[in-house]
Amino acid sequence: MNSSMINESSTSTTLRDNAEVAEVLGRSYAAGFVTDIEMTSLPPGLDEGTIRALSAIKQEPSWMTEWRLEAYRHWLTMPKPDWAKLNIDPIDYQAISYYAAPKAGPKSLAEVDPALLETYEKLGIPLHERAALAGVAVDAVFDSVSVGTTFRKQLAEAGVLFCSMSEAIREYPELVQKYLGSVVPTGDNFFAALNSAVFSDGSFVFIPKGVRCPMELSTYFRINAQNTGQFERTLIVAEEGSHVSYLEGCTAPKRDENQLHAAVVELVALEKAQIKYSTVQNWYPGDENGVGGIYNFVTKRGDCRGDDSKISWTQVETGSAITWKYPSVILRGDRSVGEFYSVALTHHYQQADTGTKMIHLGKYTKSKIVSKGISAGRSSNSYRGLVKMEKGAEGARNYTQCDSLLIGKQCGAHTFPYMEVKNPTAIVEHEATTSKISDDQMFYCRSRGVSEEDAVSMIVDGFCKQVFRELPMEFAVEAKKLLEVSLEGAVG
Amino acid sequence: MSQSASLPLVASLLDAPLPVSGIAWLDAVRRENRAAFAASGLPDTRVEAWKYTTLRGLGQRSFASGDTDAQTRVVDASLLALPGVDGARLVFVNGAFRADLSVLDNLPAGLSLQPLSQVLRGDAEPLRFALSWPAPVRHAGEVGDAFARVNAASAGDGVVLRVAAHAKISVPVQLVFVGAAAEADLAWHARNVIELGEGAELTLVEQHVASGEQAHLATLVSDIELREGAQLHHTVLQHAAIGVSLVRRDNVRLRARARATLHVLELGGALVRHDLQAELIGDDAQFHTRGVFMPHGRQHIDTQLAIRHQALNTISTSNWRGVANDRARGVFRGAIVVAPGADGSDASLSNKNLLLSPGAEIDTKPELEIYADEVKAAHGATVGQLDERSLFYLRSRGIPLAEARALLTAAFCRAVLDDLPNKALREHLSAMLVGQLPDA
Repeated sequence: MNSSMINESSTSTTLRDNAEVAEVLGRSYAAGFVTDIEMTSLPPGLDEGTIRALSAIKQEPSWMTEWRLEAYRHWLTMPKPDWAKLNIDPIDYQAISYYAAPKAGPKSLAEVDPALLETYEKLGIPLHERAALAGVAVDAVFDSVSVGTTFRKQLAEAGVLFCSMSEAIREYPELVQKYLGSVVPTGDNFFAALNSAVFSDGSFVFIPKGVRCPMELSTYFRINAQNTGQFERTLIVAEEGSHVSYLEGCTAPKRDENQLHAAVVELVALEKAQIKYSTVQNWYPGDENGVGGIYNFVTKRGDCRGDDSKISWTQVETGSAITWKYPSVILRGDRSVGEFYSVALTHHYQQADTGTKMIHLGKYTKSKIVSKGISAGRSSNSYRGLVKMEKGAEGARNYTQCDSLLIGKQCGAHTFPYMEVKNPTAIVEHEATTSKISDDQMFYCRSRGVSEEDAVSMIVDGFCKQVFRELPMEFAVEAKKLLEVSLEGAVG
Repeated sequence: MSQSASLPLVASLLDAPLPVSGIAWLDAVRRENRAAFAASGLPDTRVEAWKYTTLRGLGQRSFASGDTDAQTRVVDASLLALPGVDGARLVFVNGAFRADLSVLDNLPAGLSLQPLSQVLRGDAEPLRFALSWPAPVRHAGEVGDAFARVNAASAGDGVVLRVAAHAKISVPVQLVFVGAAAEADLAWHARNVIELGEGAELTLVEQHVASGEQAHLATLVSDIELREGAQLHHTVLQHAAIGVSLVRRDNVRLRARARATLHVLELGGALVRHDLQAELIGDDAQFHTRGVFMPHGRQHIDTQLAIRHQALNTISTSNWRGVANDRARGVFRGAIVVAPGADGSDASLSNKNLLLSPGAEIDTKPELEIYADEVKAAHGATVGQLDERSLFYLRSRGIPLAEARALLTAAFCRAVLDDLPNKALREHLSAMLVGQLPDA
């Protein structure tokens, strides 16, 4: 309880730092919601008609409709991938409704599942955020729209464009047309093609030349988190010399009705630009018998297009029944840098097949991969990665470290790193270990009066430290708690 | 995959007459494997195990089956000599047993060493299990094992080696596979069955050598079984002709307390593929491999190591080095599986590679698949160049660059031979490694 209060205050401090936000918070609800998207749902099923209808509902220009259709036609020709180490029940793509009006949630916190509230309590989520996360209509509790507006003003002053993808397609068509699909082409893979055809919404970020984004977009996103739907599409473009840090997701479990999530995230970093993308994914993992849970099939890729650019992925994956994602970086510009820091935790019957790809094309490019996998229960956790040094990758360098921790006798931890080197001046290094928490470590903790559960969480925290260090401050604190909560019942 | 039946390679392999043994079960196995190969064809690079080795070039070639003159080909005796190895010897030329070149008199007690062709004329029943692999499958799609099927269908000769329980064979046994120049490019096959009884000990030296220039296709499948407490030292020197396509597969099974140590040198061949699979099925079994592959020119050498820990307290160590020069390609996969319940397993694997030229490529893929928690498993892989500081050190002491490079490269490769107990052999192999180095 103590620690959760500390946590709460630290988050609130971040908010209170901004006097304007405090002022907005104190004010009573004034403005209305943006309700112009309240449409009837499309019936389940997928054909060209569905896509046209979806595009029409979203009032998209014709080029966007065509783009979607082209992706759809390509998708039809693609076989379903089966190479990952995953057991997936067949997905009926015709049974999904590709557009649904926002669903009405519970009316107050009293109606929310007590178990969920308990988890919020443990994680130390601020009260006003709990309601938003649980899907309670937020008007009386917390006016996210107004707070959002405040941030938006600040961003606009800096020249940063940050809006939903649908809005960007309407407002900044030339930017969207230039960059959308330029990192992950429509036919890139099965799920990327599906996403391109039917994506619902997502975020669009554009940081103009030389601008350092005045706030962590995480902060904004966190309060303004909307139900972006199951086919999320995110595009972040950082122009020459700009800098942005973006956090997606939330440490708190989110109420979600969708079974299949197939998101696409594209990052473009031009010369000397830096993008830091952090993810905390904690969707419903299914119950302890492996029933239900989200399928999370994501394509995330960054393109270091300019010289001296940098893209850094950090992810903490604890949710979803099945996770299938490989945030990648194409190191095109000379001296560009790619990083991947990952903690993936699986419990019960969860399955994760995750890792990264670092494609070195430019000279003196560098990449670093640190992956920590933790498996408990009957789960399966795989690291799958590719480091590729192309012919032109003069003096390129990669270092990879993959560690797996096993908790329990029935789980699996796997490592599948691919290394392809075509340049004799490039250096690639890979190291991996798999072990369990040693009896010595446990004995040491236990002999000092630390309970078994606390000892495990302490050791797991130490195991993940290298990755947590890369997370924005307040999320690092929460990530630690998140692992504790996720590992509950794993020992003993 | 029907289009691959039209490939010249597949057509020529399917054209070859099936050897007839007169043993009903064996002839059935051969027919079934021939049919399975006809159905599956060749794997393409979309098959994970063949991701980095394309058979596009090989597929366009065709080969004559077997060598009718195998018994009369002249083979220089110096080819067979190996320092530190002067015991029993079994020699095959283009896949056929050559009694005149072999040394089979005065076999030590407990050692039985015969060519397969001879054994099949007698009681073949004890070989039934080994020769029934790969098992017939009713569904096409086991395409990754295409060459094993070709071998199972077509191999009519090979080694049958048995060491009786508790027999300790102190003198190394030598197996030599000679590829000899012939009028046409040949496809030849050999099937080996090696079994060490309880507590038996054996040192085995396997050689692949060339007599004249040729561009044959050879497939070899070895079934190696170690009973409880058996110990095997196995050294493989692959020095085939530079045009040869060589596809080898070793299936090693280790029972309780058995221990096998393999040293492998991959030097020759145009397209070389070696599948080395080990199953540690008895408690406390140990499997150790050391290897070096040194492709140069346009060679392509692919080593696929797969080790399965299936019992308690099993240990495996693997230490492999690769050096790729010119336009050559080195491929390595080192997969370690620790099966559920195989507690106390300790597995480590290291694959270090040197890339010496801008046209060369190394693809390496160490893998860990762990299903038990009381385990220690680690792997590491690197691809890089010689250490600049070491080079500088040597040059600052007056050693020319080329020589310094050769010296460091040799040291890099030699590390895998360090624990080879046969000193004379170790020095010979070491000299061969140096001989293959550029600038030496």
